[in-house]
Amino acid sequence: MIPNRAEGTIQILAAVLLVLSLALFPWLEPPVYFISFLFRVLMYVVLSVSWNLVGGYAGYLSFGHVAFFGIGAYGSAMMANAFGLSAVGILLSSIPAGFISALVAVVVGYPSLRLRGPYFAVITLCFAFVVQLSVKNLDFLGGPDGLWLNSMELPVAVSRSIFFEVMLVVTLVAVGVSIRISRSRFGAGLAAIREDEEVAQTMAIDTAWLKIKAFAVSAFFPGMAGGVYAYYLTYIHPDIVFDVNISILIVLMALFGGGGTWLGPVVGAALLSVVNEMLSTFVKAELARIIYGCLFILVIIFMPNGIIYFFRGRSKRASQPATVLTPSP
Amino acid sequence: MKTVLVLQSLFSGIMMGSVYALLGVGFSLTWGVMRVINISHAALGLTGAYIAYALSKRWGLDPTLSLAVSVPLLFLSACFAYRLLILPITKAKGLIVSSMILTFGVAIIIENLMVLVWGPDPRVLTTAYSSKVFVVGPFFFQYPRVIGFLMAVAGVLLIHFFLKKTYTGKAVRAAWQQSDAAQLCGINLNRISMITFGLAAGSAAAGGVGMAYLYSFEPYSHNHWLVYLFLVVILGGVGNVLGTAAAGVIIGVITGLSMAFLPYQWVNLLTFGLLMVILLLRPEGLFRSEA
Repeated sequence: MIPNRAEGTIQILAAVLLVLSLALFPWLEPPVYFISFLFRVLMYVVLSVSWNLVGGYAGYLSFGHVAFFGIGAYGSAMMANAFGLSAVGILLSSIPAGFISALVAVVVGYPSLRLRGPYFAVITLCFAFVVQLSVKNLDFLGGPDGLWLNSMELPVAVSRSIFFEVMLVVTLVAVGVSIRISRSRFGAGLAAIREDEEVAQTMAIDTAWLKIKAFAVSAFFPGMAGGVYAYYLTYIHPDIVFDVNISILIVLMALFGGGGTWLGPVVGAALLSVVNEMLSTFVKAELARIIYGCLFILVIIFMPNGIIYFFRGRSKRASQPATVLTPSP
Repeated sequence: MKTVLVLQSLFSGIMMGSVYALLGVGFSLTWGVMRVINISHAALGLTGAYIAYALSKRWGLDPTLSLAVSVPLLFLSACFAYRLLILPITKAKGLIVSSMILTFGVAIIIENLMVLVWGPDPRVLTTAYSSKVFVVGPFFFQYPRVIGFLMAVAGVLLIHFFLKKTYTGKAVRAAWQQSDAAQLCGINLNRISMITFGLAAGSAAAGGVGMAYLYSFEPYSHNHWLVYLFLVVILGGVGNVLGTAAAGVIIGVITGLSMAFLPYQWVNLLTFGLLMVILLLRPEGLFRSEA
């Protein structure tokens, strides 16, 4: 769907306005809680947008993306401690941490991207568990004690604002890459893989290479986000940064918003983070999770293509292509 | 002494494995026949375990007898759940994955309902014979494990003969091999799927009681059980009942031996690593599907 020029300009203006107001938000000196909350929202946007590159565009549902997040966190923390980096250095170390994640993704993706559908989902989930358990058992990574980082020597409000701004930059880059891919030959190739991998191969699309490339890119940003998050927390533990629930949440957010589009995961992550926050503040934890479970069911039954398609479908049903998030069986 | 230990862990592995098999059969059937991966399968098994626990606590009912309550109960509620939840999505193109996400939601709901009802603490199924052991030569067998083993063997055989000998069972297999042709022969696919789903839930209840004989359980245990389900079902070949049984025993023996000889924290790592290797080398399972 290519919007006409006037509509496109309005959309770009709205996006710029949104980004600017987000960037200037800390200068209003709001309570630290809101900055931290927005930081987490942005983090989930990064995670689900990058998950979407392989899960939504190519239809390969990875349930192990938290592994890349955790690897980034540990990578950054190890570099910070080994080289005694300064604050800026630690923040920058999230970039090589992202590359480490991408490298791991290539090594893991090469054999496992041959599997499809549920088999791929299960092997990625296993991979996340294996990494978590290994880190827990390796003493030089802190083992079950976790790792400490030096905290930023600044007032809390300032340091949280810095983290927020850094995460905003990471988010913008991730979303930018996601938009770019969705409009490129690369993205078209991934969509072809999602719709029918055999046909895509017959059309001389190098599916194996495209999948690995997508998997590596989709691991890079979670690695970076993990690196920033490690410094944000100043203490990381395998049970925190390799928490499988994060993996599942990422998938849910992307599917809720609408996998296969660049906007879907952004909307999904933002909406579900707010819902999550409200539920955990106002409702008993168990009840909150039950509501969450119902949400899964409702989304799958009533909006199998995500909330984006649900509303778009309402307004202009005719112009919508009938693409559905359908991983190859 | 060493051989005695090896044989002992071999036996207990076989007993554990047969319970995994009972728990896995239903999971394998819904996956194979209906193309539905029921993530809440282990949670249903856990419900069976909790029903057994509640009944034995309240009225001193033997856990094996509690199956007379839990199996029909779960059968009926699963049939209902099929109509309500699974039927609306059967037309979807990516049924396997949508069903995974949907039933994941169901699993979360069941898990947290169990936390609300029974609390988050681990429970143990205690019976009059919990601590009794019978001794054969140098080996000893705990009663609960033996009962779980016998229950599992009976359950798996029952399902096997149901599929092979009864009319409905044959219809289930027909629906799985050639669903279009089966419909042409007058088989009502929706009804068959509903029965399969109910049957799977009922066998899950029995498997859950078997698991409760082996381990303590808490509302979150089903996540851990789920890994074994995938392990057993993928190794045995999706939809293959006897293959699942054999795979259950293999996995049980491997875990039994590794529990005896490896530090505890490496056992889980081994399990997950094993599942990855199996998936990469033989995703279609060790045994050729008997379809």
